[in-house]
Amino acid sequence: MAAADSPSTALRRRDLCSRGIRLAGKMRADVVDLLDAYVEQQGLDASASVVAVEGVPQAAVERWDEQTGTQRLLENLAAYRAFRALLAQMLEEQREQLGEANVGLGRALAAVLLQVSAFAYHLEELLQLESRGIPGEEEDGLPALPHLSLFEQKLRGLGVLRELAQWAVRSVRDLRQLAKPSPATGTVPGLAESP
Amino acid sequence: DSHIQYERVGADVTMKCGSMDWDAAVTWTVNGTDIDESHLNGSYLILKNVDLSQSGQYSCYEGSSWHLKYQTYLRVGTPPKEPVLMCRSNNYPKGFYCSWHLPTPTYIPNFFNISVIHGTKDMVCEKDAIPKNRCHIRYLQLFSTVKYKVTLTVTNALGKNFTTVTFDEFAIVKPDPPESVVAKPVPNNPRRLEVSWQNPSSWPDPESFPLKFFLRYRPLILDQWQHVELSDGTSHTITDAYAGKEYIIQVAAKDNDIGTWSDWSVAVHATPWTEEPKHLTTEAQITETTSASTSSFMAPPTTKICDKGAVVGSGAVAVCWTAGLVVAAYSVLFI
Repeated sequence: MAAADSPSTALRRRDLCSRGIRLAGKMRADVVDLLDAYVEQQGLDASASVVAVEGVPQAAVERWDEQTGTQRLLENLAAYRAFRALLAQMLEEQREQLGEANVGLGRALAAVLLQVSAFAYHLEELLQLESRGIPGEEEDGLPALPHLSLFEQKLRGLGVLRELAQWAVRSVRDLRQLAKPSPATGTVPGLAESP
Repeated sequence: DSHIQYERVGADVTMKCGSMDWDAAVTWTVNGTDIDESHLNGSYLILKNVDLSQSGQYSCYEGSSWHLKYQTYLRVGTPPKEPVLMCRSNNYPKGFYCSWHLPTPTYIPNFFNISVIHGTKDMVCEKDAIPKNRCHIRYLQLFSTVKYKVTLTVTNALGKNFTTVTFDEFAIVKPDPPESVVAKPVPNNPRRLEVSWQNPSSWPDPESFPLKFFLRYRPLILDQWQHVELSDGTSHTITDAYAGKEYIIQVAAKDNDIGTWSDWSVAVHATPWTEEPKHLTTEAQITETTSASTSSFMAPPTTKICDKGAVVGSGAVAVCWTAGLVVAAYSVLFI
Protein backbone atom coordinates (compact mmCIF):
# COMPACT_ATOMS: atom_id res chain seq x y z
CA MET A 1 0.00 0.00 0.00
CA ALA A 2 1.25 3.43 -0.76
CA ALA A 3 1.87 5.63 2.24
CA ALA A 4 -0.58 8.40 3.07
CA ASP A 5 0.20 11.72 1.38
CA SER A 6 2.39 14.23 3.08
CA PRO A 7 0.80 17.68 3.24
CA SER A 8 3.31 18.99 0.70
CA THR A 9 2.51 16.18 -1.72
CA ALA A 10 -1.19 16.80 -1.38
CA LEU A 11 -0.65 20.50 -1.93
CA ARG A 12 1.59 19.89 -4.96
CA ARG A 13 -0.97 17.51 -6.43
CA ARG A 14 -3.75 19.99 -5.98
CA ASP A 15 -1.63 22.68 -7.57
CA LEU A 16 -0.74 20.46 -10.53
CA CYS A 17 -4.38 19.45 -10.96
CA SER A 18 -5.55 23.09 -10.88
CA ARG A 19 -2.98 24.10 -13.47
CA GLY A 20 -3.79 21.04 -15.53
CA ILE A 21 -7.48 21.94 -15.46
CA ARG A 22 -6.68 25.41 -16.74
CA LEU A 23 -4.39 24.01 -19.44
CA ALA A 24 -7.04 21.55 -20.58
CA GLY A 25 -9.70 24.23 -20.59
CA LYS A 26 -7.62 26.53 -22.78
CA MET A 27 -6.65 23.62 -25.01
CA ARG A 28 -10.27 22.68 -25.51
CA ALA A 29 -11.27 26.21 -26.48
CA ASP A 30 -8.44 26.34 -29.04
CA VAL A 31 -9.27 22.89 -30.41
CA VAL A 32 -12.91 23.89 -30.89
CA ASP A 33 -11.81 27.00 -32.83
CA LEU A 34 -9.35 24.91 -34.84
CA LEU A 35 -12.08 22.37 -35.61
CA ASP A 36 -14.30 25.10 -37.05
CA ALA A 37 -11.48 26.46 -39.18
CA TYR A 38 -10.42 22.97 -40.29
CA VAL A 39 -13.94 22.01 -41.38
CA GLU A 40 -14.33 25.20 -43.35
CA GLN A 41 -10.96 25.19 -45.03
CA GLN A 42 -10.93 21.51 -45.85
CA GLY A 43 -14.43 21.79 -47.36
CA LEU A 44 -15.95 19.24 -45.00
CA ASP A 45 -19.47 18.87 -43.63
CA ALA A 46 -19.36 19.68 -39.89
CA SER A 47 -22.05 17.10 -39.16
CA ALA A 48 -20.31 14.29 -41.05
CA SER A 49 -19.93 11.10 -39.02
CA VAL A 50 -16.40 9.82 -38.85
CA VAL A 51 -15.80 6.17 -38.16
CA ALA A 52 -13.26 5.47 -35.43
CA VAL A 53 -9.83 5.32 -37.03
CA GLU A 54 -7.09 3.08 -35.78
CA GLY A 55 -4.54 4.98 -33.77
CA VAL A 56 -6.88 7.84 -32.77
CA PRO A 57 -7.54 7.57 -29.02
CA GLN A 58 -11.25 7.43 -28.26
CA ALA A 59 -12.32 9.54 -25.31
CA ALA A 60 -15.44 7.42 -24.78
CA VAL A 61 -15.17 5.33 -21.64
CA GLU A 62 -17.49 3.04 -19.70
CA ARG A 63 -17.73 3.21 -15.89
CA TRP A 64 -15.71 6.41 -15.85
CA ASP A 65 -16.64 7.07 -12.24
CA GLU A 66 -15.10 3.74 -11.16
CA GLN A 67 -11.66 4.46 -12.59
CA THR A 68 -8.74 4.75 -10.23
CA GLY A 69 -6.53 7.81 -10.21
CA THR A 70 -3.67 5.88 -11.78
CA GLN A 71 -5.88 4.61 -14.58
CA ARG A 72 -6.99 8.14 -15.30
CA LEU A 73 -3.43 9.46 -15.50
CA LEU A 74 -2.14 6.58 -17.61
CA GLU A 75 -5.03 6.71 -20.07
CA ASN A 76 -4.71 10.47 -20.39
CA LEU A 77 -0.97 10.26 -20.95
CA ALA A 78 -1.30 7.56 -23.61
CA ALA A 79 -3.95 9.60 -25.38
CA TYR A 80 -2.02 12.87 -25.46
CA ARG A 81 1.16 11.16 -26.61
CA ALA A 82 -0.83 9.68 -29.48
CA PHE A 83 -2.36 13.08 -30.28
CA ARG A 84 1.08 14.64 -30.29
CA ALA A 85 2.16 12.26 -33.04
CA LEU A 86 -1.13 12.56 -34.95
CA LEU A 87 -1.09 16.36 -34.91
CA ALA A 88 2.54 16.40 -36.07
CA GLN A 89 1.52 14.16 -38.95
CA MET A 90 -1.45 16.38 -39.78
CA LEU A 91 0.81 19.42 -39.78
CA GLU A 92 3.15 17.77 -42.24
CA GLU A 93 0.33 16.63 -44.50
CA GLN A 94 -1.23 20.06 -44.40
CA ARG A 95 2.05 21.69 -45.41
CA GLU A 96 2.44 19.22 -48.28
CA GLN A 97 -1.10 19.71 -49.50
CA LEU A 98 -1.44 23.42 -49.19
CA GLY A 99 2.13 24.68 -48.90
CA GLU A 100 2.06 28.30 -47.90
CA ALA A 101 -1.56 28.73 -48.93
CA ASN A 102 -2.99 28.15 -45.51
CA VAL A 103 -0.58 29.59 -43.02
CA GLY A 104 -3.35 30.36 -40.53
CA LEU A 105 -4.49 26.76 -40.26
CA GLY A 106 -0.90 25.60 -39.98
CA ARG A 107 -0.22 28.03 -37.15
CA ALA A 108 -3.36 26.99 -35.31
CA LEU A 109 -2.41 23.32 -35.66
CA ALA A 110 1.08 24.05 -34.39
CA ALA A 111 -0.29 25.98 -31.40
CA VAL A 112 -2.55 23.10 -30.42
CA LEU A 113 0.32 20.65 -30.89
CA LEU A 114 2.36 22.71 -28.44
CA GLN A 115 -0.43 22.65 -25.88
CA VAL A 116 -0.88 18.91 -26.30
CA SER A 117 2.87 18.41 -25.69
CA ALA A 118 2.74 20.65 -22.64
CA PHE A 119 -0.23 18.79 -21.25
CA ALA A 120 1.45 15.42 -21.78
CA TYR A 121 4.45 16.71 -19.85
CA HIS A 122 2.13 17.95 -17.11
CA LEU A 123 0.61 14.48 -16.83
CA GLU A 124 4.07 13.00 -16.52
CA GLU A 125 4.74 15.34 -13.59
CA LEU A 126 1.55 14.17 -11.90
CA LEU A 127 2.53 10.54 -12.39
CA GLN A 128 5.96 11.22 -10.95
CA LEU A 129 4.34 12.79 -7.92
CA GLU A 130 2.46 9.58 -7.33
CA SER A 131 5.80 7.73 -7.47
CA ARG A 132 4.52 5.92 -10.50
CA GLY A 133 6.93 5.06 -13.22
CA ILE A 134 6.28 6.97 -16.39
CA PRO A 135 5.57 4.48 -19.16
CA GLY A 136 8.06 4.74 -21.99
CA GLU A 137 6.87 5.95 -25.33
CA GLU A 138 6.62 3.41 -28.10
CA GLU A 139 9.64 3.91 -30.32
CA ASP A 140 7.83 3.04 -33.50
CA GLY A 141 5.24 5.83 -32.95
CA LEU A 142 1.95 5.44 -34.78
CA PRO A 143 0.98 2.10 -36.22
CA ALA A 144 1.69 1.98 -39.94
CA LEU A 145 -1.39 3.21 -41.74
CA PRO A 146 -2.37 2.32 -45.25
CA HIS A 147 -1.91 5.12 -47.69
CA LEU A 148 -4.90 7.37 -47.43
CA SER A 149 -6.41 9.44 -50.19
CA LEU A 150 -6.55 13.18 -49.70
CA PHE A 151 -10.18 13.01 -48.70
CA GLU A 152 -9.50 10.19 -46.23
CA GLN A 153 -6.70 12.25 -44.72
CA LYS A 154 -9.07 15.14 -44.23
CA LEU A 155 -11.68 12.90 -42.60
CA ARG A 156 -9.07 11.41 -40.31
CA GLY A 157 -7.99 14.92 -39.38
CA LEU A 158 -11.61 15.72 -38.50
CA GLY A 159 -11.77 12.61 -36.33
CA VAL A 160 -8.51 13.51 -34.59
CA LEU A 161 -9.68 17.01 -33.68
CA ARG A 162 -13.10 15.84 -32.54
CA GLU A 163 -11.64 13.21 -30.25
CA LEU A 164 -9.08 15.69 -28.95
CA ALA A 165 -11.89 18.11 -28.04
CA GLN A 166 -13.65 15.32 -26.12
CA TRP A 167 -10.44 14.32 -24.42
CA ALA A 168 -9.86 17.88 -23.25
CA VAL A 169 -13.22 17.81 -21.47
CA ARG A 170 -12.55 14.36 -20.06
CA SER A 171 -9.15 15.48 -18.80
CA VAL A 172 -10.72 18.36 -16.89
CA ARG A 173 -13.11 15.91 -15.24
CA ASP A 174 -10.31 13.42 -14.54
CA LEU A 175 -8.12 16.05 -12.92
CA ARG A 176 -11.01 17.24 -10.76
CA GLN A 177 -11.44 13.68 -9.53
CA LEU A 178 -7.72 13.47 -8.84
CA ALA A 179 -7.77 16.74 -6.92
CA LYS A 180 -10.49 15.51 -4.56
CA PRO A 181 -9.03 14.51 -1.20
CA SER A 182 -10.14 11.21 0.28
CA PRO A 183 -12.17 11.99 3.40
CA ALA A 184 -10.59 9.27 5.62
CA THR A 185 -6.93 9.28 4.75
CA GLY A 186 -6.46 12.60 3.01
CA THR A 187 -5.12 10.75 -0.02
CA VAL A 188 -6.56 10.94 -3.49
CA PRO A 189 -9.14 8.22 -4.03
CA GLY A 190 -7.81 5.47 -6.22
CA LEU A 191 -4.14 6.38 -5.96
CA ALA A 192 -3.44 4.75 -2.59
CA GLU A 193 -3.24 1.26 -4.00
CA SER A 194 -0.81 -1.58 -4.17
CA PRO A 195 1.89 -1.16 -6.82
CA ASP B 1 -72.00 -7.28 -30.16
CA SER B 2 -70.50 -4.22 -28.62
CA HIS B 3 -67.22 -2.81 -29.84
CA ILE B 4 -65.36 0.44 -30.48
CA GLN B 5 -65.28 2.05 -33.87
CA TYR B 6 -62.81 4.81 -34.71
CA GLU B 7 -63.52 7.29 -37.48
CA ARG B 8 -61.78 10.40 -38.75
CA VAL B 9 -63.29 13.84 -38.33
CA GLY B 10 -65.09 14.66 -41.59
CA ALA B 11 -65.60 11.05 -42.63
CA ASP B 12 -68.93 9.59 -43.75
CA VAL B 13 -69.90 6.66 -41.53
CA THR B 14 -72.38 3.87 -42.32
CA MET B 15 -73.46 1.58 -39.50
CA LYS B 16 -75.21 -1.70 -40.16
CA CYS B 17 -77.60 -3.11 -37.63
CA GLY B 18 -75.68 -6.31 -37.10
CA SER B 19 -77.08 -9.10 -39.29
CA MET B 20 -80.45 -7.39 -39.86
CA ASP B 21 -81.57 -7.06 -43.49
CA TRP B 22 -81.45 -3.69 -45.13
CA ASP B 23 -85.23 -3.44 -45.21
CA ALA B 24 -85.75 -4.50 -41.57
CA ALA B 25 -87.55 -2.08 -39.29
CA VAL B 26 -85.08 -0.82 -36.69
CA THR B 27 -84.57 2.02 -34.27
CA TRP B 28 -81.16 3.61 -33.70
CA THR B 29 -80.23 5.49 -30.57
CA VAL B 30 -77.17 7.46 -29.58
CA ASN B 31 -76.40 7.60 -25.85
CA GLY B 32 -79.99 6.43 -25.22
CA THR B 33 -81.66 9.06 -27.39
CA ASP B 34 -83.57 8.06 -30.53
CA ILE B 35 -82.00 9.09 -33.79
CA ASP B 36 -84.27 10.71 -36.36
CA GLU B 37 -85.24 8.52 -39.31
CA SER B 38 -83.78 11.06 -41.74
CA HIS B 39 -80.38 9.63 -40.90
CA LEU B 40 -81.45 6.13 -41.93
CA ASN B 41 -81.07 4.40 -45.24
CA GLY B 42 -83.18 1.31 -44.71
CA SER B 43 -81.80 -0.16 -41.53
CA TYR B 44 -78.41 1.48 -42.02
CA LEU B 45 -77.48 4.51 -40.05
CA ILE B 46 -75.74 7.14 -42.20
CA LEU B 47 -73.63 9.83 -40.52
CA LYS B 48 -72.13 12.30 -42.95
CA ASN B 49 -69.07 14.44 -42.25
CA VAL B 50 -68.82 13.36 -38.63
CA ASP B 51 -67.50 15.71 -35.98
CA LEU B 52 -66.23 15.23 -32.45
CA SER B 53 -69.65 15.80 -30.87
CA GLN B 54 -70.96 12.68 -32.60
CA SER B 55 -68.78 10.38 -30.53
CA GLY B 56 -70.96 8.16 -28.35
CA GLN B 57 -72.67 4.84 -27.92
CA TYR B 58 -74.80 3.85 -30.89
CA SER B 59 -77.38 1.10 -30.47
CA CYS B 60 -79.72 -0.57 -32.92
CA TYR B 61 -82.98 -2.22 -31.81
CA GLU B 62 -85.29 -4.48 -33.79
CA GLY B 63 -88.45 -2.57 -34.61
CA SER B 64 -91.19 -4.47 -32.86
CA SER B 65 -89.39 -6.49 -30.22
CA TRP B 66 -86.87 -3.84 -29.13
CA HIS B 67 -84.25 -6.48 -28.96
CA LEU B 68 -80.78 -4.99 -29.05
CA LYS B 69 -79.25 -6.14 -32.29
CA TYR B 70 -76.06 -4.13 -32.48
CA GLN B 71 -74.08 -1.73 -30.35
CA THR B 72 -70.92 0.19 -30.99
CA TYR B 73 -68.98 2.99 -29.38
CA LEU B 74 -68.09 5.55 -32.02
CA ARG B 75 -64.92 7.54 -31.32
CA VAL B 76 -64.35 10.39 -33.73
CA GLY B 77 -60.79 11.61 -33.89
CA THR B 78 -57.77 12.35 -36.06
CA PRO B 79 -54.58 10.53 -36.99
CA PRO B 80 -51.54 11.81 -35.07
CA LYS B 81 -49.50 14.73 -36.36
CA GLU B 82 -45.71 14.65 -36.09
CA PRO B 83 -44.97 14.49 -32.36
CA VAL B 84 -42.72 16.96 -30.57
CA LEU B 85 -39.74 15.23 -28.93
CA MET B 86 -37.16 16.72 -26.59
CA CYS B 87 -34.19 15.10 -24.86
CA ARG B 88 -32.22 16.65 -22.04
CA SER B 89 -29.69 15.78 -19.39
CA ASN B 90 -30.39 17.60 -16.13
CA ASN B 91 -28.50 15.00 -14.09
CA TYR B 92 -25.21 14.69 -15.98
CA PRO B 93 -23.27 12.42 -15.97
CA LYS B 94 -25.91 9.91 -14.84
CA GLY B 95 -28.10 9.97 -17.93
CA PHE B 96 -30.74 11.85 -19.83
CA TYR B 97 -34.48 11.84 -20.37
CA CYS B 98 -36.70 12.32 -23.39
CA SER B 99 -40.19 13.73 -23.24
CA TRP B 100 -42.79 14.21 -25.93
CA HIS B 101 -46.24 15.46 -26.74
CA LEU B 102 -48.55 15.83 -29.69
CA PRO B 103 -48.95 19.33 -31.11
CA THR B 104 -52.72 18.84 -31.42
CA PRO B 105 -54.99 16.32 -29.65
CA THR B 106 -56.33 13.33 -31.57
CA TYR B 107 -59.28 12.71 -29.20
CA ILE B 108 -58.65 8.97 -29.35
CA PRO B 109 -56.07 6.81 -27.55
CA ASN B 110 -52.46 7.06 -28.79
CA PHE B 111 -49.58 4.68 -28.28
CA PHE B 112 -45.97 5.83 -28.18
CA ASN B 113 -42.88 3.83 -28.90
CA ILE B 114 -39.38 5.22 -28.47
CA SER B 115 -36.09 3.85 -29.73
CA VAL B 116 -32.63 5.10 -28.81
CA ILE B 117 -29.55 4.17 -30.80
CA HIS B 118 -25.99 5.08 -29.91
CA GLY B 119 -23.80 4.16 -32.84
CA THR B 120 -24.85 0.60 -33.53
CA LYS B 121 -26.10 -0.08 -30.03
CA ASP B 122 -29.79 -0.12 -29.13
CA MET B 123 -30.49 1.37 -25.73
CA VAL B 124 -33.55 0.93 -23.54
CA CYS B 125 -35.38 4.09 -22.52
CA GLU B 126 -37.25 3.25 -19.33
CA LYS B 127 -40.66 4.81 -19.12
CA ASP B 128 -41.36 7.07 -16.17
CA ALA B 129 -44.52 6.45 -14.17
CA ILE B 130 -45.06 10.19 -13.86
CA PRO B 131 -45.23 11.91 -16.20
CA LYS B 132 -46.37 9.30 -18.66
CA ASN B 133 -44.86 10.94 -21.72
CA ARG B 134 -41.29 10.60 -20.55
CA CYS B 135 -38.55 7.99 -20.36
CA HIS B 136 -34.98 8.02 -19.09
CA ILE B 137 -31.67 6.42 -20.06
CA ARG B 138 -28.52 5.82 -18.09
CA TYR B 139 -25.29 6.70 -19.87
CA LEU B 140 -23.25 3.59 -20.53
CA GLN B 141 -20.37 5.65 -21.88
CA LEU B 142 -19.16 9.16 -21.25
CA PHE B 143 -17.21 11.52 -23.52
CA SER B 144 -18.35 9.77 -26.68
CA THR B 145 -18.22 11.57 -30.03
CA VAL B 146 -20.83 9.20 -31.41
CA LYS B 147 -24.24 10.82 -31.65
CA TYR B 148 -27.45 9.53 -30.10
CA LYS B 149 -30.43 9.01 -32.37
CA VAL B 150 -33.87 8.93 -30.77
CA THR B 151 -36.97 8.06 -32.75
CA LEU B 152 -40.47 8.42 -31.36
CA THR B 153 -43.37 6.73 -33.17
CA VAL B 154 -46.96 7.52 -32.28
CA THR B 155 -49.78 5.27 -33.45
CA ASN B 156 -53.54 5.35 -33.09
CA ALA B 157 -56.43 3.60 -34.80
CA LEU B 158 -56.48 6.20 -37.57
CA GLY B 159 -52.80 6.48 -38.45
CA LYS B 160 -49.18 6.79 -37.45
CA ASN B 161 -46.43 9.38 -37.34
CA PHE B 162 -42.89 9.74 -36.05
CA THR B 163 -40.04 12.10 -35.40
CA THR B 164 -36.29 11.70 -34.91
CA VAL B 165 -33.77 13.79 -33.02
CA THR B 166 -30.01 13.35 -33.14
CA PHE B 167 -27.63 14.90 -30.64
CA ASP B 168 -24.24 14.80 -28.95
CA GLU B 169 -23.80 13.80 -25.35
CA PHE B 170 -22.68 17.31 -24.42
CA ALA B 171 -25.26 19.29 -26.36
CA ILE B 172 -28.29 18.24 -24.30
CA VAL B 173 -26.78 18.95 -20.89
CA LYS B 174 -28.99 21.57 -19.23
CA PRO B 175 -29.28 21.70 -15.44
CA ASP B 176 -32.47 22.58 -13.59
CA PRO B 177 -32.55 26.14 -12.21
CA PRO B 178 -30.80 26.90 -8.91
CA GLU B 179 -32.93 26.37 -5.81
CA SER B 180 -33.64 28.23 -2.60
CA VAL B 181 -32.64 31.63 -3.93
CA VAL B 182 -32.58 34.14 -1.07
CA ALA B 183 -31.86 37.86 -1.24
CA LYS B 184 -31.34 39.96 1.89
CA PRO B 185 -30.43 43.55 2.61
CA VAL B 186 -27.06 44.20 4.23
CA PRO B 187 -27.40 46.18 7.49
CA ASN B 188 -26.04 49.72 7.29
CA ASN B 189 -25.38 49.36 3.55
CA PRO B 190 -28.00 51.14 1.48
CA ARG B 191 -26.61 49.91 -1.86
CA ARG B 192 -26.02 46.23 -1.16
CA LEU B 193 -28.02 43.06 -1.40
CA GLU B 194 -26.72 39.65 -0.42
CA VAL B 195 -27.92 36.84 -2.69
CA SER B 196 -27.44 33.13 -2.04
CA TRP B 197 -28.75 29.96 -3.68
CA GLN B 198 -28.23 26.23 -3.88
CA ASN B 199 -27.29 23.83 -6.65
CA PRO B 200 -30.34 22.15 -8.18
CA SER B 201 -31.03 18.97 -6.25
CA SER B 202 -31.26 16.99 -9.50
CA TRP B 203 -27.55 17.65 -10.27
CA PRO B 204 -25.92 14.56 -8.80
CA ASP B 205 -22.27 15.52 -8.27
CA PRO B 206 -21.56 19.25 -8.16
CA GLU B 207 -18.11 18.65 -6.71
CA SER B 208 -16.86 16.69 -9.72
CA PHE B 209 -19.11 18.48 -12.21
CA PRO B 210 -19.26 22.01 -10.85
CA LEU B 211 -21.83 24.48 -12.06
CA LYS B 212 -21.30 28.10 -12.91
CA PHE B 213 -24.03 30.68 -12.41
CA PHE B 214 -25.54 33.73 -14.04
CA LEU B 215 -27.27 36.24 -11.84
CA ARG B 216 -29.59 38.95 -13.13
CA TYR B 217 -31.18 41.76 -11.17
CA ARG B 218 -33.06 45.00 -11.72
CA PRO B 219 -35.15 47.44 -9.72
CA LEU B 220 -38.85 46.85 -10.27
CA ILE B 221 -39.23 50.31 -11.73
CA LEU B 222 -36.75 49.65 -14.57
CA ASP B 223 -36.82 47.16 -17.45
CA GLN B 224 -33.12 46.66 -17.99
CA TRP B 225 -31.34 43.81 -16.21
CA GLN B 226 -27.85 43.83 -14.80
CA HIS B 227 -25.95 40.57 -15.28
CA VAL B 228 -23.14 38.90 -13.39
CA GLU B 229 -21.49 35.60 -14.31
CA LEU B 230 -19.99 33.66 -11.41
CA SER B 231 -17.61 30.78 -11.97
CA ASP B 232 -17.79 29.41 -8.45
CA GLY B 233 -19.61 29.77 -5.18
CA THR B 234 -23.32 29.96 -4.51
CA SER B 235 -23.57 33.51 -3.26
CA HIS B 236 -22.94 37.03 -4.46
CA THR B 237 -23.22 40.54 -3.06
CA ILE B 238 -24.78 43.16 -5.29
CA THR B 239 -23.01 46.44 -4.51
CA ASP B 240 -24.62 48.89 -6.92
CA ALA B 241 -28.28 48.68 -5.98
CA TYR B 242 -30.29 51.88 -5.97
CA ALA B 243 -30.97 52.87 -2.39
CA GLY B 244 -34.49 52.20 -1.20
CA LYS B 245 -35.65 50.51 -4.42
CA GLU B 246 -37.20 47.07 -4.49
CA TYR B 247 -35.25 44.62 -6.66
CA ILE B 248 -36.14 41.48 -8.52
CA ILE B 249 -33.37 38.85 -8.72
CA GLN B 250 -32.96 35.54 -10.58
CA VAL B 251 -30.20 32.98 -11.03
CA ALA B 252 -29.43 30.43 -13.78
CA ALA B 253 -26.93 27.55 -13.82
CA LYS B 254 -24.75 25.78 -16.38
CA ASP B 255 -22.19 23.00 -16.24
CA ASN B 256 -18.78 24.64 -16.09
CA ASP B 257 -17.60 23.02 -19.32
CA ILE B 258 -20.48 21.78 -21.49
CA GLY B 259 -24.13 22.23 -22.40
CA THR B 260 -26.49 25.16 -22.06
CA TRP B 261 -27.85 27.46 -19.38
CA SER B 262 -30.76 26.40 -17.24
CA ASP B 263 -34.02 28.31 -17.16
CA TRP B 264 -34.09 31.22 -14.71
CA SER B 265 -34.84 30.43 -11.10
CA VAL B 266 -37.96 31.56 -9.33
CA ALA B 267 -37.66 35.35 -8.87
CA VAL B 268 -37.01 36.80 -5.42
CA HIS B 269 -37.56 40.36 -4.28
CA ALA B 270 -35.52 42.43 -1.87
CA THR B 271 -34.94 46.05 -0.96
CA PRO B 272 -31.58 47.37 0.28
CA TRP B 273 -31.29 48.54 3.88
CA THR B 274 -32.43 52.07 4.56
CA GLU B 275 -31.92 54.27 7.63
CA GLU B 276 -35.04 54.61 9.79
CA PRO B 277 -36.80 57.98 9.16
CA LYS B 278 -36.72 60.32 12.30
CA HIS B 279 -40.53 60.93 12.42
CA LEU B 280 -41.12 57.36 13.26
CA THR B 281 -39.59 57.79 16.75
CA THR B 282 -41.52 56.73 19.89
CA GLU B 283 -43.95 58.87 21.97
CA ALA B 284 -41.42 59.36 24.81
CA GLN B 285 -38.95 60.77 22.33
CA ILE B 286 -41.61 63.19 21.01
CA THR B 287 -42.24 64.46 24.59
CA GLU B 288 -38.55 65.00 25.16
CA THR B 289 -38.14 66.72 21.82
CA THR B 290 -41.07 69.09 22.42
CA SER B 291 -39.88 70.29 25.87
CA ALA B 292 -36.34 70.80 24.61
CA SER B 293 -37.17 73.11 21.68
CA THR B 294 -39.94 75.38 20.35
CA SER B 295 -41.85 72.98 18.25
CA SER B 296 -44.03 74.06 15.35
CA PHE B 297 -46.50 71.16 15.51
CA MET B 298 -49.42 70.52 17.78
CA ALA B 299 -48.59 68.63 20.93
CA PRO B 300 -50.67 65.49 21.38
CA PRO B 301 -53.51 65.79 23.92
CA THR B 302 -51.72 63.78 26.60
CA THR B 303 -48.67 65.98 26.53
CA LYS B 304 -48.45 68.25 29.59
CA ILE B 305 -47.26 71.76 29.13
CA CYS B 306 -47.71 72.85 32.73
CA ASP B 307 -48.06 71.40 36.23
CA LYS B 308 -51.44 71.08 37.76
CA GLY B 309 -50.56 73.44 40.60
CA ALA B 310 -49.74 76.29 38.21
CA VAL B 311 -53.16 76.41 36.61
CA VAL B 312 -55.26 79.56 36.97
CA GLY B 313 -58.96 79.58 36.28
CA SER B 314 -61.09 76.59 35.40
CA GLY B 315 -62.93 74.81 32.59
CA ALA B 316 -62.27 75.78 28.98
CA VAL B 317 -60.21 78.83 29.83
CA ALA B 318 -57.96 77.24 32.41
CA VAL B 319 -54.41 78.32 31.74
CA CYS B 320 -51.18 77.94 33.69
CA TRP B 321 -48.77 80.67 34.63
CA THR B 322 -46.08 79.71 32.14
CA ALA B 323 -48.51 79.48 29.24
CA GLY B 324 -49.90 82.82 30.23
CA LEU B 325 -46.45 84.43 30.23
CA VAL B 326 -45.74 83.06 26.72
CA VAL B 327 -49.03 84.36 25.37
CA ALA B 328 -48.38 87.74 26.97
CA ALA B 329 -44.92 87.90 25.42
CA TYR B 330 -46.27 87.19 21.91
CA SER B 331 -49.03 89.76 22.42
CA VAL B 332 -46.46 92.43 23.20
CA LEU B 333 -44.54 91.55 20.01
CA PHE B 334 -47.53 92.03 17.80
CA ILE B 335 -48.90 95.26 19.25
